[in-house]
Amino acid sequence: MASADKLINTDVPEKDVFALHFLRSLSNLRTQNPLNSPDKSIDRVRKIKKAAYVSMARAAGGNSRLWSRALLRRAAKDDNKSVRFSRRKRKVTWKISSKRRRSNQRAPVVEEAAERLRNLVPGGGGMETSKLMEETAHYIKCLSMQVKVMQCLVDGLSQK
Amino acid sequence: MDLSEKDEFSAEKRNPDNYDSVNNPSGDWRVDSYPSENLISAGPASCSPSQMMDSFGQTLWYDPTSVQAMGYGGFNGGNASSSSFRGNIDRSLEMGWNLPNLLPPKGNGLFLPNASTFLPPSMAQFPADSGFIERAARFSLFSGGNFSDMVNQPLGNPESIGLFLQGGGTMQGQCQCDELNVGEPHNDVSTAVKDPTVRSCEQAKPNVPGSGNVSEDTQSSGGNGRKGRETSSNTKKRKRNGQVNSEAAQSHRSQQSEEEPDNNGDKKRNSEQSPNSPGNKTNSGKRQGKQSSDLPKDGYIHVRARRGQATNSHSLAERVRREKISERMKFLQDLVPGCNKVTGKAVMLDEIINYVQSLQRQVEFLSMKLATVNPQMDFNLEGLLAKDALQLRAGSSSTTTPFTPNMAMAYPPLPHGFMQQTLSSIGRTISSPLSSMNGGFKRQETNGWEGDLQNVIHINYGAGDVTPDPQAAATASLPAANMKVEP
Repeated sequence: MASADKLINTDVPEKDVFALHFLRSLSNLRTQNPLNSPDKSIDRVRKIKKAAYVSMARAAGGNSRLWSRALLRRAAKDDNKSVRFSRRKRKVTWKISSKRRRSNQRAPVVEEAAERLRNLVPGGGGMETSKLMEETAHYIKCLSMQVKVMQCLVDGLSQK
Repeated sequence: MDLSEKDEFSAEKRNPDNYDSVNNPSGDWRVDSYPSENLISAGPASCSPSQMMDSFGQTLWYDPTSVQAMGYGGFNGGNASSSSFRGNIDRSLEMGWNLPNLLPPKGNGLFLPNASTFLPPSMAQFPADSGFIERAARFSLFSGGNFSDMVNQPLGNPESIGLFLQGGGTMQGQCQCDELNVGEPHNDVSTAVKDPTVRSCEQAKPNVPGSGNVSEDTQSSGGNGRKGRETSSNTKKRKRNGQVNSEAAQSHRSQQSEEEPDNNGDKKRNSEQSPNSPGNKTNSGKRQGKQSSDLPKDGYIHVRARRGQATNSHSLAERVRREKISERMKFLQDLVPGCNKVTGKAVMLDEIINYVQSLQRQVEFLSMKLATVNPQMDFNLEGLLAKDALQLRAGSSSTTTPFTPNMAMAYPPLPHGFMQQTLSSIGRTISSPLSSMNGGFKRQETNGWEGDLQNVIHINYGAGDVTPDPQAAATASLPAANMKVEP
């Protein structure tokens, strides 16, 4: 499911990559709690969900996408782990204030929708609207891929 | 009237002396060889140039043009076929423009007064017809260098006339120069290129005095031609703008820095198009070429103000930004299912947001399902992979090769350690379903892996169609990996 757009690159790896990452993270989950299994299902769900997102971010190309980077950073912060990122070519985050100040002049319809998108897409707060759209496109692709993988897994497991 | 003019004209042209090297591609040109029927046959052909300017009411202006075209057509007909002449009406037009230049050396005033009487009244009422503008532009290109001189001097000045005629007269002498000018009639951008060549052509031949009438009408036509050139160049700028914008859109991928302060200088430079003088025109034309070559160097976006739009730098930036956003939205439209029917940014954005939300909800729901399906959370990679392999193989349309060998090959960017780990896990997975086949093979058994793994891989090879070469590399690496992984 790779798109060949010359201007906007939203290539997404094959399904297998996602599957591999997800399963690996799931097995890591198992090794984390070998003996004492948390009884509350909510915790389990939360862990699985987090594992899903993290594996998706890794599969989509860890540092090359803004949203994946933000996702991984967020996840690492929750775990109180330090995340090491390779040096970015361009700085993005410092542009928030300069862009927001002038957002009145931009099309207000687009901008309010962009605000909502920013809340949804990880790392959207530091992006300009056009960049946000790119990231959204890639994010949508990766999300759909992850959903497919998880669906396959659930089907496979429930077929026992 | 046409015929009479033709005959006059043809009478003047009988002299072959000065017409040796006029624009004659075939080189066989002979004035006296053209029969009268060529003129007549060329007549209807030459009507089409007049049709090009059909919205122009004054037919008087057409006559000398058509005469000239026909005259040249007569020349041409003597050598090439008249059909070829008809096929190249444009060329003949340009050639036709040559003819007033041809006339003065003859010193024959027969034709000229007739033309001159036609022209001035008609010149006064030129509409800004696009066809006329183009022709005027072409004509101006011919002796473009002269116009600046001519403008500075009062009309009717014999010296200016002489200058013009000199410029015109020299045109005939250098057929290559004319070919250059004539051969690119459609691109006004190349005015910068043409002007120096015109000027170089001018200096070749000495002054030839001639009657003032021809120069007068050409001067006035030159004045209009300049105006025409300006208006046409405005439209051309729009085309150029499209090119520059597409280039700019592509080059913008390379840079993410703040555009506006950078573009302020560029746009201000670009947007001073309204004061158009011929000197500026050449400069802007040259600058245009330089800008397009500068694009890959600077990474800046060079944006030109479109015709009829504000040239404020802010509005230009806004326009660029809006275009980018709409472009991305089109891209998103293809991604999100069911967005094709929806038109309008707001609704589409809402759809996109809904889609993202639904996807996230799906992830959460599936993770809940996973948690319930596997309450012990003992996700056995082997079992999962095996079942998932079956699922993925059945469900996916993209993978045609077996799951596990494909996985081994699909991730060149992965670090080597990870590869080994996954391969070991894959090995465990592969061995586990096959353990039942082998009979009593322990799941966690690590001894004797290499042989089993190789068996497994071969079995998997048998299972699906894999290209042998990459898989051979995989098998070669697998035993080595296993050797390292084993504790």
